[in-house]
Amino acid sequence: MQRQRSLLALIVVLAIAAIVAIARIPIPLGLDLQGGSQLTIQVQPTAEIPQITDRELEAVQRVIENRINGLGVSEPVVQTVGQDQILVQLPGVSNPEQAERVLGGTAQLEFRTQRPGTEAQLFAEQQVRLGLLAKQQELRATNNTTEIQQNQEAIERSNAAIAQLFESTNPPLTGRNLEDAYGQPTQAPNNWEVGIRFDSPGAELFAQLTRDLAGTGRSIGIFLDNELISAPTVGPQFAQTGITGGSAVITGRFTAQEANDLAIQLRGGALPVPVEIVENRTVGATLGRDSIQRSIYAGIGGLILVLIFMVVYYRVPGIIADLSLCVYALLTWASFALLGVTLTLPGIAGFILSIGMAVDANVLIFERTREELRAGKSLYRSVESGFYRAFSSILDSNVTTWIACAALFWLGAGLVRGFALTLALGIAVSMFTAITCSRTLMFIAISLPSLRKPELYCPNLPTVRRAEVAR
Amino acid sequence: MKLSINQSRKLWWAISAAAIITGIAAMLISWQQIGAPLRPSLDFVGGTRLQLERDCTQPNNCAQPIDITAVREVLAAQGLSNSSIQILGQEQQGISIRTSTLDVEQRTQLQDALSQRIGAFAPQSTQIDTVGPTIGRQLLSSGLLALIVSFGGIIVYISLRFQLDFAVFAITALLHDVFVTAGVFAILGLVWSVEVDSLFIVALLTITGFSVNDTVVIYDRIREILKVNPDRSISEIVDDAVNQTLARSINTTLTTMLALFAIFLFGGETLKNFALALIIGFICGAYSSIFIASTLLSWWRERNGQRLATQSTAVIDSPPEDT
Repeated sequence: MQRQRSLLALIVVLAIAAIVAIARIPIPLGLDLQGGSQLTIQVQPTAEIPQITDRELEAVQRVIENRINGLGVSEPVVQTVGQDQILVQLPGVSNPEQAERVLGGTAQLEFRTQRPGTEAQLFAEQQVRLGLLAKQQELRATNNTTEIQQNQEAIERSNAAIAQLFESTNPPLTGRNLEDAYGQPTQAPNNWEVGIRFDSPGAELFAQLTRDLAGTGRSIGIFLDNELISAPTVGPQFAQTGITGGSAVITGRFTAQEANDLAIQLRGGALPVPVEIVENRTVGATLGRDSIQRSIYAGIGGLILVLIFMVVYYRVPGIIADLSLCVYALLTWASFALLGVTLTLPGIAGFILSIGMAVDANVLIFERTREELRAGKSLYRSVESGFYRAFSSILDSNVTTWIACAALFWLGAGLVRGFALTLALGIAVSMFTAITCSRTLMFIAISLPSLRKPELYCPNLPTVRRAEVAR
Repeated sequence: MKLSINQSRKLWWAISAAAIITGIAAMLISWQQIGAPLRPSLDFVGGTRLQLERDCTQPNNCAQPIDITAVREVLAAQGLSNSSIQILGQEQQGISIRTSTLDVEQRTQLQDALSQRIGAFAPQSTQIDTVGPTIGRQLLSSGLLALIVSFGGIIVYISLRFQLDFAVFAITALLHDVFVTAGVFAILGLVWSVEVDSLFIVALLTITGFSVNDTVVIYDRIREILKVNPDRSISEIVDDAVNQTLARSINTTLTTMLALFAIFLFGGETLKNFALALIIGFICGAYSSIFIASTLLSWWRERNGQRLATQSTAVIDSPPEDT
């Protein structure tokens, strides 16, 4: 009895913790529920780059991120998928045309020279831009779409103003001429620099460019998709010849991360790989809201029907099953919140289905208990062996469903994975609640004299047996 | 009431065979007509689907229902006359258009042309699905691979927990459920142009899990009775096992159906066919576990005349005393 009490206490604590978790941690909604646009971008190999490696994919991802940031969307997600795809999620975007236009096409990297006499102006513009970017960071957190959009326009004006201060070399020195870029540590501790290397026409152009700028205080403008990403100056010692040999380092007080980030941006700009949008899934916000509402009705409707059925059919055990189903629903929902599961429409379906599985465990146990009662065992023994004997069926049947979920999770994509995850989690929690929660409540129920009547557990027991049981 | 499933097992087999043959026939007809056993959605073959709804906050925008011939004319003018068009909603203010894969320029052009002719659309209610042909094939092959992998996993698990013949018949029952469900959707595809999408593959995988689940519960009981009474005839044992688990099979299927019908009725367009596939599959699953997997097992063991000692992987003794 002591054990039952402590288990009951544990369940109550878990349920309360679950409620707190649900209240505190909001479950992020998938784009199909909150509305938004999901684009899959395919990176295509070319004659020069026949195979897309991780290094190239990372560089393209950085280019895509840059372009996404230029769209002024709050909380965009950019991630790589598989060998050669990039997934872009734009919450709240229901007309993705602009994004699609911006995202397609190869990156444009260019090294330009600063126009004479614009040093002070560049400094001022860069300060303005830094301020605007910082503001944009803050705004992103607030989700204020109109303000983000306005600020984005200001950033674009600032970018254009900065671009005005630079001019292209003749012929232009572009990403095509850049062979590689990489972060490397300098001699000084915790200080990094970015090495760059040009092909031979690029080396010549770069030597010319640096000779013009050396010692003047004017900068090289490194532009990615017309946005200034770095503006290094050239030391006076190169005034005679410029930086020759096609290799150079950009120094500055870079941390390892900053150096690598700049190198990745440069590599991305140098990549001649075209990208193509191969998938576009866009759901308007209203449609998403509709889906949520409908699935909440479906979930609650289904749950209530199941709860009623259980009480009508199984009586006292039915009530116990209903209680543990409620605990089950709480715990599962909380585990979604804690594990950061993004809720999608198929995910909700998986959750509703897992309620079915949770009921199954209870049904198996109670049917077994009834059988034992009919076989003439005492109430206590019947309940005991009901749980004990049903366990192997519950385990076997759940493991097979897990196998299907695992296959879905590893091989499926996007929405499909959401379904597999919620169903698998649900089944795990249902095993726990069936063998702890239902069990504990059941033993507490049969310890109460008013509930210790076999007919409350199994209707139509043969009278002789009932007499025996009562004895 | 006691069910003697082994007495009339030829009848059950005949019913299932008929259902499967009908399904395969439907798939063959479908293959001839549309070049695929089931009507594939754009998930698998690529294409663009545009779902648009008029913006009814604008005055006079929604005065008339959308005229399908006007939509057809717009599409023809864009060179997309072989697209399929559906008018949506009770007020007929929405349209759904499925075309070949459109790029962003073509799509915007189409959207602009449509809104000029039909009225402004609410961007908040727009749904766009574009899938390139390559990624469609990728989705299909990864889905089918997931099915095969989970079949393999289940065979291995059941062989370990039970015996190989149990596993083979569990998979037979499972293939039965998958085929019947696919067959029903082939018929639906022919009659009402119902399409199968990636959620359909998810449904098949879920059916896989639940169907084996049903079978395993009965097998579990067969194993238990076999262990206590190794000398009884296998037919009797199977009959007993089925009867003892019958209430559970019915109740579990029933409760799951309650949840599924709730999704089917209220869960929205996307989930409707998904729920329907699961409803068909789960009913098949319950049927095949009771009438196919068990009877095949007793037929097999009778034929081989084996008095099989079961593996003692599960200990089924009296429970320990709880204090």
